[in-house]
Amino acid sequence: MFEVLMYDGGVYRSAELYELIEDVGGVVINSMRSSQMLTVTMSVPEEDRAAIEELCTDIGGTVKEVPLAGTEIAVIGPTLGRHHMPHPICDIAEQLRQYGAISVVMGLARGRGKATAQISMDEINIINEYDAAVFMMGNFKSCIEDKKDLLEPLDVPLVLVCGPEPEGMEDVCDAVVSGVGRKCERMRTADERRKLVEIADTVVRLLDARRETLSEDPLYVHPAELKQLLETYEPIDMCLRPAPIVLLLGGLRVKIPYSEHREYLENLDVFGRRLGDIARIRPSRISDSSTIIEIMTVSEVEDRDAYRAEYGA
Amino acid sequence: METVIEGTEEFGNDAYKALFEGIMSDIGKAVHVEKARLVLRPEVPFFVFSLLLKAEPESKRISDVASVRGEDGNVFVTISDERYAPEVLSRLWARYSRERVEQQTRFDIAVRAASVAEVEETVVSSGEEALREIVGALWRSMPEGIKARHNMGSGRVVTIMATEENVQPWMKEEAAAVHASMGG
Repeated sequence: MFEVLMYDGGVYRSAELYELIEDVGGVVINSMRSSQMLTVTMSVPEEDRAAIEELCTDIGGTVKEVPLAGTEIAVIGPTLGRHHMPHPICDIAEQLRQYGAISVVMGLARGRGKATAQISMDEINIINEYDAAVFMMGNFKSCIEDKKDLLEPLDVPLVLVCGPEPEGMEDVCDAVVSGVGRKCERMRTADERRKLVEIADTVVRLLDARRETLSEDPLYVHPAELKQLLETYEPIDMCLRPAPIVLLLGGLRVKIPYSEHREYLENLDVFGRRLGDIARIRPSRISDSSTIIEIMTVSEVEDRDAYRAEYGA
Repeated sequence: METVIEGTEEFGNDAYKALFEGIMSDIGKAVHVEKARLVLRPEVPFFVFSLLLKAEPESKRISDVASVRGEDGNVFVTISDERYAPEVLSRLWARYSRERVEQQTRFDIAVRAASVAEVEETVVSSGEEALREIVGALWRSMPEGIKARHNMGSGRVVTIMATEENVQPWMKEEAAAVHASMGG
């Protein structure tokens, strides 16, 4: 199993850190330098964590765990209106960022009301692109239970955050965190901050289970390794959008249009294989300006190779 | 502000009390409210928010919120109620143009070539406007999807009833009873 750590310290002797990460077979997920300070998010084998920590301490930095690094999580509210969207949703998104995730806030177009709340197919497909989703609801038990239909079609690890403890929601979401409803101010008190940690820990637990499943049949190439190969591609290098490449548990979101770069991406050489042969590449449902690369597992690639060898392409 | 909640869900009652009081304070309307009665029945859904105001909303003129004196054809305004300071300045600008209105300090304004009576009579806040802001605050604190609404207002009492689909006669009757119980 790989562990994701974050080094926070100076640039002094950072070359040694990069070298050690490479030596132990780890990858740099993200590296950010600001003046003489450096933050490196890395994924390293569990058994080499001690060596990494020792070096980081030796060169004057600190190491902390960022259990959600390399994931993209959607925090969803029934609408973007001021009744549903502000404070708790923003606080949850911020907490997930502190755990290392890229978090995205979204509201449904017609999610308000009790009997009239709806979720569209486009919204379902967009949410399903993320590694996990946190769905935020309000203060009334009967309203939450009536909105069960909104959660049913979602096919990602899902945490429901709401005020009262609802009944009968176990089959439509993976976890429920109650005690956080609609609020008109930031979550500042000790109790509220504990709730935020509980929500983030719940997401970590769900994604750890997903990682565990992935480790049984690992991806053909680690998303971070693919990120390193793609970073040199000029349209990505020149992309002005924040985080032009976003790591997902099972692949990458690359913020360049699929229609213009499909050919390059399909034919990219990844350790002797075409990327198109080891990953499913498709436009993002959010807009045509992003591309989703879904990396196949080793067994999927082997199965596909065997099929091709027997029946042709 | 005294807030009375009548609801069918314990968690929702407590949360809505905090939410309602928070929103009214944020918008600066809590000081105008003497008592609030909220009926919350999300299972219908049926909501009634009724307010008893401390005073009936009425128009405020510059003479109500500031002292005004004339000297050599000029008028000097000293604002005594800080809440109306931006409104006083903007109304004077609108009436006399920026060239003739000079803000000397935070609360002192001089208006060149104006009459005291005219300045004193300038309306800075109409009662209708204040009422609209209070109704807006009530709408903001109600659940978003509960869009079918019915407003009632008489004297110092403002009541809003809301439901999701068609407004039934019994809903109006019950809202009228709440309105009457608050003195409306």
